[in-house]
Order: sequence, then C-alpha cells, then structure tokens
Amino acid sequence: MIENIISQIDKIAEEHPERLAYTYEDHTYTFGELVTTADRIAHFLQAQHLPAKAPVVVYGEQTFAMVATFLGAVKSGHGYIPIDTNSPDERIHQIHDVAQPAAILATEHLPVSFSDLPIYGPEQMATVRAKGETDYDHGQSVRGDDIFYIIFTSGTTGVPKGVQISHTNLLSYVNWAISDFSLPEGIRCLAQAPYSFDLSVMDLYPSWVLGGNLVALPKRTTDNFMLLFKALPQLKLQEWVSTPSFVEICLLDANFKAANYPDLKYFLFCGEELTGKTASQLIDRFPDAKIFNTYGPTETTVAVTGVEITKDTIAQYERLPIGYAKEDTTMYAVDAKGNKVAPGELGELIIEGPSVSKGYLNNPEKTKSAFFRDGDQQAYRSGDLGFIDQDGLIFYRGRTDFQVKLHGFRIELEDVDHALDALAPVKQASVVPKYNNLHKVTQLVAFVVPKKHPADEGAYIADLKKQLTQTAMSYMIPQRIELKESLPLTVNGKIDRKTLIAEVNPS
Amino acid sequence: MAVKDTVLDILSDLTGSDEVKENLDTDLFKSGLLDSMGTVQLLLELQSQLGVNVPVSEFDRTQWDTPNKIIAKVEQMQQQ
Repeated sequence: MIENIISQIDKIAEEHPERLAYTYEDHTYTFGELVTTADRIAHFLQAQHLPAKAPVVVYGEQTFAMVATFLGAVKSGHGYIPIDTNSPDERIHQIHDVAQPAAILATEHLPVSFSDLPIYGPEQMATVRAKGETDYDHGQSVRGDDIFYIIFTSGTTGVPKGVQISHTNLLSYVNWAISDFSLPEGIRCLAQAPYSFDLSVMDLYPSWVLGGNLVALPKRTTDNFMLLFKALPQLKLQEWVSTPSFVEICLLDANFKAANYPDLKYFLFCGEELTGKTASQLIDRFPDAKIFNTYGPTETTVAVTGVEITKDTIAQYERLPIGYAKEDTTMYAVDAKGNKVAPGELGELIIEGPSVSKGYLNNPEKTKSAFFRDGDQQAYRSGDLGFIDQDGLIFYRGRTDFQVKLHGFRIELEDVDHALDALAPVKQASVVPKYNNLHKVTQLVAFVVPKKHPADEGAYIADLKKQLTQTAMSYMIPQRIELKESLPLTVNGKIDRKTLIAEVNPS
Repeated sequence: MAVKDTVLDILSDLTGSDEVKENLDTDLFKSGLLDSMGTVQLLLELQSQLGVNVPVSEFDRTQWDTPNKIIAKVEQMQQQ
C-alpha cells in the first residue's frame, strides 16, 4: 500500500536515482533525472503565479518531456490535461473552451494559438527542463481530493467531456493494480497508448511507484508494421498493457511468442472486449505469462474489475468475464427503473467507490445525470450493460446507449453525427457500428443525406472525410459513408438508428 | 479479374470510398483512408483473394502507401 504517488516516486529517486524510469527509442532516463526534471518544471510553474489548483494543458507525444511535465505539474499543485499531438486543432479549441486552463505547457509545437492564457513553448520548456531551479513549495503539491489529471472523452453533443481524476481516485487504482496483478518491483512495461487516452495511466503510475521502467512505443513505429516488429523484441518487455486490438496485430507475426520475448510475463488488457480467441492464441504463444482482462470507464479511473484469464476461463465462458470489482469498490446492476436486479440478471452496471470521479469539469448537467452520491461513496452510472453472477464475477454485454468502442477508442455515435451534420454539404447524418461475429466493432458506417445530390458521389464522400479530419479525432471518422435520399425515422420522429444498425449488420 | 481491379475493389471496400479508384497515387495513410487496423484487413484480403502472403513483419508502410504501389507489389509477388 502506498499513501502518496508523488512522494513514492520521490522516494524511489532518492533511494535508487540510477534506476531507469523511462525509455524512448535510444534514450533512457533515470528516476534521478525524472524527479530533477519534474522539480524544475514545478519550480517554474509556481513562479508563474497561476490561479491556485487551476488545471494546465500539457501538449505533446509519448516523450520523456511529456511525462516529466505531468509530474512537474502535479508537484507544483496543478492537475494536468494531456493533449496528444495527433489531435485536430478543433479538438484543442474545444478542450480549451471547456476547461479554461490556467496555461498550456507545449513540449511540441502547438498548432493553434490563444490570447487569453500563457502558452509556454517547446524551446522555453526545454530550457526549464535542462537548467531550471529545482526548489519548490511541496506544500502545494496535488494531494487528497485535488485534481491530478483531467482526460477528455467523446461527448454526445459534439463537445468533449473532461473527466476529473483526483489524487485519491488515482491512488485507489494504483494500489489495486500493484497488488492484484502481483507486479514485481522495477518492472519493465510497455507504454503504447497515447497519453490523452486513460489506458496510458494503466501502465504509467503503477510502474513508477514500483520503481519500474516505462518503455515507450511511439505511434509512428506502431503504424509501420515493419518498424513495429523490428522494435518490439528489442524492448525486452516484462509487462504488456494495450487494447486487445493492438495485441491482435502483434499476433499476426508468428515470431510474437515466448521464445523471442523471454521476459514477457504479464499481459493487461483494457479498453474493449477481449475475445476468447485472442486470449487463447496468447496462452498458446506465451504459456508462462499471466493474462488479465480488466474493465473500467475513464470516469472510475482506468479499471475497476480484473480477472486472470486461463484456459479454464476460456473453456467455461463463451464471452470472457471482465472480472471481479476491486476490493474498495462496489458494483451492481440495475433495471430501467434503477432497482438492483438479482444475480445473473442483465442491467446497467453501477460503480461505487473511492476511484469514482467527482464529475465532468465545468459540466454540472452531464455530471448530474451520470454521477450520484450513495451514502459516503461516489457512484457512476456506466451506461454499460452487464450481469454479475453469484460469486461476484462480472460480464459485459453492451451499451444502454449509442456509445461504441473502436480499437479501444470510446466513441459516442451522436458525437460523430454532430461532426457530420456541421459540414456544409450535409443535410442529415447518422452513424452506426459494423460488428464482426465476435461482437467487436470493426467499422463506423455513416448514412448521409446530402443537401444537394452530388454529380460525383466519390468526390463528395472524399471531401466529407477530408473536412472531418479538421474537427474530429481520426478514430471517429467513419470508414464508410453511404449516401441516402432520406433516413428512416422512429414513431417519435427521431432518426431510427436501430434500423440502420440492422441494415449494416444483417443477422 | 485483373490484379489491378481486385486490389482496387478491396481498397474501395475497406475505405468506403471510390477515391482510391480515381487517384491511384493517393497516399492512403496521410489521407486517413487506411489506419493500422485497415492495413491488417488489407493484408488478410490480399491473402484470401489473390493468394499473396505478405508477412506482417516485412510490411514497410512506405512501400504500400498508394493504390499504384500496392498493385505493383502484388503483381511482383505473384510472379515470384
């Protein structure tokens, strides 16, 4: 059990300054360097006299500068909002408008500008990291219910929601992760997910409080398979954290097996459904490794359930369980009226405990509809359908609304509708998921009613996709766009998405 | 059916766009038409429809980033 994430990292740096904390391609960084760099950033930030506890944006990619700046921000007393360099400009504007951050710390060139807040650019931040003073007021550091980070997720109205995660929330997750997956000290763990995605937290803080080394795999490497498979075995990983989709790509390489990855002993999955087929392939390739399936919305801090997947689990269940609720957390399923259902019965999963966020930043309306207090516990209505068996083992079965997961990315279909509706040539649009036979979403299909029927349909569709890249995250852009004269409507006059879903997923 | 038409049909189906048939030098990755998961689908389709087996570990994206390059690669691999 650790009590404070920041002081635990400081303690490791003090006792073992030479231990590696971060590896990015050919560069390695020790705990000593990590803490010194973060202290310099904390000194710098405190000298700016920003409003107390106000969040700051940290912009960049999977570099050491990015993660050291996270740590520097929380040391100085400011929670951070991570924004990845792959974000479209419009997304950065939206986050700025919702969050009203106190400053932007850009570790890479920021493609947009704002006049209402200080922006510290890459050169200035590099100087701070290299030469700044290291003393700062530890009394101001993020602790207890102070916000540690804010991660933005897809919203239903075209505006992203900022999930506020406090130090208490994160600590609950970290303590569970290091004990339940029995991770050893000094573990070498893959850091593949971009930092704007809460899956990245699954590896970052548990590894650091264990004195472990995060080994980054940048997006430009994962995107080019030849580079990916050249780089992977050289990372000498002990722990793997990714979406099931990413490991499925890796399994396409026959050399992805224990003989070539002798140290790889832990696989942690989150972000989307892990299929029995993938788990079983992994067990065959890595017979001595432990494979954990986990589940958790960003709103409840990374993951709240976990279970080891063995050959027996796969043989026993057609769809794998997502696990048992972590010790400090209560989960139950409720019917449409909000009443708890009997074990084994399907309902919306409710999550209560110390890792549940206090709500969305500057969005009381959405906070009120998704969060509530139950006695002294904070509770979250997940919108996920599932059931809990007699033994407390939990199974996921889908959504109560139109949220989907594509390759681990959480997407509100209404959000994509909005992005399409906002384009000048579009009269009306509705986006639906296409599923494969393992219940996984493989594509988003958009049905679009054009304002004026285009002479050249192909050019029209290509233009829509191009315009979408300006406003939507790349994973939100539908792979297929089909033009229609009109969309089917329900009796209430709303677009009948279920009919469209049935059209792209004939049973 | 010629290799060219089969490849273009696969690409058009995966990307949901006819752009790939109109501009054979379009950059599939920079334009956002194909992502990693789309690439995986492409390799699987090339294998099942054209019998071309591209080991994923030898897949250098820069050599497969336009319809024309993919057609040339497939034709070259079929002759081997």
